[in-house]
Amino acid sequence: MFAGIMAVIIFLAMFVLIVMDKIERHIVTLACAVLTIIFVFGIGMHSLTAINETLNVKNIFTASFWYQSGEASESAGGINWATIIFIAGMMIMVEGMARVGFFRWLCMKIAKWVHYKPVPIFITFMVLSSVLSMFIDSITVILFLAAVTIELAQMLKFNPVPVILTEIFCANLGGSATMCGDPPNIIIGTSLGYTFTDFITNAGVIAAISLVAVVIYFYLTMRKSIKTGEEVDVSALNIDPSSVITDKKGFILSSLIFILAVVLLVTHAQTGLTVAIIGVVIAVLTFIVSGKHILEVLKKVDYKTLLFFIGLFVVVGGLEQTKILELLAKFIENISGGNTVVMIAIILWLSAIASAFIDNIPFAATMIPVIRTLSATAGVPLDVMAWTLAIGTDIGGSATPIGASANVVGIAIASKNGYPVSWKKYCLSLAPATVIVLLISMACIYLRYL
Amino acid sequence: MSQLIVSIGREYGSGGHEIAVKLAERLGLKLYDRNLLEEIAKHKNVDYSELAKYDETPKKEILTRTVRGLSSSHEHNIANMQFDYLRKKASEGESFVVVGRCAESVLKDFEGLISIFVLGDIECRVQRIIKVRGMTESEARSAVSRHDRTRKAYHNDHSRMKWGDSRNYDITLNSSKLGIDNAVDLIEDYINKRTGNK
Repeated sequence: MFAGIMAVIIFLAMFVLIVMDKIERHIVTLACAVLTIIFVFGIGMHSLTAINETLNVKNIFTASFWYQSGEASESAGGINWATIIFIAGMMIMVEGMARVGFFRWLCMKIAKWVHYKPVPIFITFMVLSSVLSMFIDSITVILFLAAVTIELAQMLKFNPVPVILTEIFCANLGGSATMCGDPPNIIIGTSLGYTFTDFITNAGVIAAISLVAVVIYFYLTMRKSIKTGEEVDVSALNIDPSSVITDKKGFILSSLIFILAVVLLVTHAQTGLTVAIIGVVIAVLTFIVSGKHILEVLKKVDYKTLLFFIGLFVVVGGLEQTKILELLAKFIENISGGNTVVMIAIILWLSAIASAFIDNIPFAATMIPVIRTLSATAGVPLDVMAWTLAIGTDIGGSATPIGASANVVGIAIASKNGYPVSWKKYCLSLAPATVIVLLISMACIYLRYL
Repeated sequence: MSQLIVSIGREYGSGGHEIAVKLAERLGLKLYDRNLLEEIAKHKNVDYSELAKYDETPKKEILTRTVRGLSSSHEHNIANMQFDYLRKKASEGESFVVVGRCAESVLKDFEGLISIFVLGDIECRVQRIIKVRGMTESEARSAVSRHDRTRKAYHNDHSRMKWGDSRNYDITLNSSKLGIDNAVDLIEDYINKRTGNK
């Protein structure tokens, strides 16, 4: 009882502190993790087993952590080291690509391809944002896309705000399509034993349908606000996309590593390579290619996010070990009357609304044990709930400026460059699109699975 | 001292802004107040009115987030935009008078900085606001309290030292006791002594 109460108090305190944004969130989760170990597992449960299960270190030293010969299996609770190692590997690869100018080059190349016309830039950048976010974290995608958008807007005299807002939305949407697109997906995938193919053929299909719908929606509602009425003679602009490449050899090699990462991810169900080993391989290759720039790449890796994950998994482990999440699952089962249709709707909209206001990563991590329990007790197919949870958390995050990390980064870049986007402006632009995609997703889930 | 930067923090209704205007005139220096943001907007080719909404306002406690050092708070970003601009101007060797904007903290590493904080008795400040802004007494009282609260929160968001804490400034003076012109004289005299212009 004491352990359960402490687990809930620590979890709620962690959420409040994350929302308040006064203390860096990795410090919050790590401190809460220490409190969980002391008060929940130690004083409350007197259980060394619970500590070991949550820290989950042994798992790293098993062969199946790196290579799975049969079907991917569900991992136990606690710290999801596969997620952490994979994300670290991807971060290193992305920093390597950024160092050689890959992202700026890609944006400039596409802008040139559409002859620097604002509306075609608006549309192609939405698609680019979605496609890149399928494989690369949406923070990095928006970091570069938003910066280049502002640069182009200044040059070509168009309003960058609608373009950045739609890039943010499409980054979150693209991230929902794959197992490696958004942190909630990688946690769902590795925790519940799903593959890249499982994600792309389920959540990916829904994301593709939604992308077509939102591109049309954004084109109809925003195209007029992009133009400022000022005409620019594009032929007079001397822009050479290849000039942004800082290291030609490194550029080619980094691009090859990226292609290799995509191939390894797409085929990981067939090859048996887990996301953990893929993360290690691409990190090692990036180190080799970076040569003397290794330190420069390493310094830019967002280690705080990795620490945030570690702390978070321990705190959620506290809720799991004390069976609090089973109570939450029971509650959802009761209010839905055991009806699968209602249960799916609750998971989708609850995830979306919660993710619109709070960080979707802790939310997803908390909900995984809940849907696992629901599947076991109420008999709802686990995979259907997994896709629902992934879509709900990834898409719901688009509705407000603080819902997802990509939103914060996009808004911050716009603001720092003199284009502050108010909450009202943001929500009026993107909340309707969020609702549209959630309705499309709900229809797809009901039609396909139920 | 070749470079002279005078930062003037102020309580609402204390006449700190008027003192800054007069001081800038006497010293022949450029004055930065709200026009700082206008200059930035012009420089960045963006709409000033969009930025002005967030000038000298504190970061909201909730509804903002920070990711990889990037904040979604416009108040935070626009304050930093001004701080960077002030640092740039100071680094280029420019001499100026600046009102508010945490300048005494932002520019503390510049040798030529002289930092002033102007306060006033509450009754005098209320009377001044009634006269200058044409408000009723209750409106003036609530405006004084609201603006002071906002300025304090804004300042303390960006500075280690507290707003109005005398340890943070070269001079803190009560304009109600001296009047605006005498306050300007006193500050000018202090500046002359500091810079060696007797």
